[in-house]
Amino acid sequence: MINIALPKGRLGDKVYALLASAGYSCSSYDSSGRKLVFSDQQSGVSYFWVKPADVAVYVERGAADVGVVGKDILEETAPDVYELADLGMGKCTMCVAAAADWYDDTSRPLRVATKFVNVAKNYYREIGRDIEVIKLNGSIELAPILGMSDVIVDIVETGTTLKENDLKVYASIFPISARLVANKAAFKFKNGQIKKLVDSLSEAKR
Amino acid sequence: MKQLKSEEELLTGLSALYGARGYRRFRPGCFEDYSLYLDNIDFLISKKVITFSGAGGRLLALRPDMTLSVIRHVDPAGGTQKLFYTDRVYRRPADGDEFREVDQAGVEVIGDIDAACEAEVLLLACDTLAAVADDYIVDLSHMGYIEGLMSALGLTGGDKEEAYCYLRAKNMHDFKKFAKTRGIGGEGVEAFGRILSIGGDCRAAAAEMRACSLNEDMRSAAEELSGLVDMLCALGCGSAVNINFSIANSADYYNGVIFNGYAGGVPRRVLSGGRYDKLLSKMGRAGGAIGFALYIGELERYFRPDANSVSTVILYDDQSAPEALERSRALTAEGRSVRIARSLPEGIRYNEVQDLRRHP
Repeated sequence: MINIALPKGRLGDKVYALLASAGYSCSSYDSSGRKLVFSDQQSGVSYFWVKPADVAVYVERGAADVGVVGKDILEETAPDVYELADLGMGKCTMCVAAAADWYDDTSRPLRVATKFVNVAKNYYREIGRDIEVIKLNGSIELAPILGMSDVIVDIVETGTTLKENDLKVYASIFPISARLVANKAAFKFKNGQIKKLVDSLSEAKR
Repeated sequence: MKQLKSEEELLTGLSALYGARGYRRFRPGCFEDYSLYLDNIDFLISKKVITFSGAGGRLLALRPDMTLSVIRHVDPAGGTQKLFYTDRVYRRPADGDEFREVDQAGVEVIGDIDAACEAEVLLLACDTLAAVADDYIVDLSHMGYIEGLMSALGLTGGDKEEAYCYLRAKNMHDFKKFAKTRGIGGEGVEAFGRILSIGGDCRAAAAEMRACSLNEDMRSAAEELSGLVDMLCALGCGSAVNINFSIANSADYYNGVIFNGYAGGVPRRVLSGGRYDKLLSKMGRAGGAIGFALYIGELERYFRPDANSVSTVILYDDQSAPEALERSRALTAEGRSVRIARSLPEGIRYNEVQDLRRHP
């Protein structure tokens, strides 16, 4: 039996569809209800729904053998897991955005509002810019509008929210997509099963 | 799953195992000069150290690691030394904020290290894991092989560090993008991918490792590792040994074979070790060194849970206290466990109650 942590939401449904087409379907699967665990003895698979940001935690701590998690979460939390495949889904970009008329006043630290504190710190450390991080949990775009921050570091999918709030992208930090990750110990003890899953997924993606 | 009575039982068993193989117990003092860790901070798993001022004003530390203490205290003129320890270290866990006191057991060999010595240490690592778990795996890698690969790909500095990250995460998809931006050719990318996938049957993996060698450094490391694999197979450990180049320690300290141990049911490595001649040299010592540590804190699920139970509870009052003590002594002499109390204790399990109170 292989335990798979799926991110609850639209991405999770898409990933499940890919896994099902790769031979890992689950007869009791249902993403609309409140049930969190689904198993199928015949396919030898057990799925559980978790919050997208928690997938890597479940995998790192061995509650799940493998899981699907966005590159944004992997960069932010740096879990000790194997990153076995890029599923090419849920594509977007980690960006620096600010008001359309913003210019960088380099005489003082840059105020950066973000959910991704480590990503922001690492990015600005690499380019040698002193920053003050403002950690927010949502509606990040509001921070520069209200003058609380100079820029934001956030995920941009289509850019519509930015445009509607008169913000624009100033830099792309890295591209994001869904990645298949595996627990390091499970990869040893269930090596054949996990390798087969990776191969089947790569076949199904074609 | 194997159930061990307690950490003490495990440590006693391991001490007997190491002692029987001719390893001498090493027990350093509780504190070390902080400079010992500051000078070798990258060697430490946990970079934070608990420090305090000693009686003479020197800055001291509660040790976060045993290997540095072993090297510092070993007599360089004493020939090859084989030592083991079971002791406590103080470090911050990767996923936690506060320091923890952690039991650790390990062996270190310092002096002339030959292939037989390396095989003996790896065999001890296998035997250590076998004392803990029914199923275990030792992943073997070689710093010379990985460094040779980086050199064959022309990677240095930050680029080398980035390539190490892809190797550690078995992340081929991002390495391909990285290789494109650094002008790494198709042959190099293909070799990286094959090396990253090496695993499974260790003899077949050793053959693949030799076939993937791109330069003399890699060839020589591959020969050394193949020899070790052959010895371990001959000793009956082949099925528990994997070659896996996704374990890569700091090249500033490690130079030869490196390894991690995994026990079934534990999501993280429980043992790690390797050849660390470079650390020895950094500390001004000649010769070679190899060793490993077992992280007892990771093995919690193997220890029998504290049942918090007794066979008999004896309830007493002022008048019956002497009788309660006498009965307790008699019952424990029969091998039973007893708790005496004035009233039924909360949160404890018991088989019977003997109430000696006159007015309960």
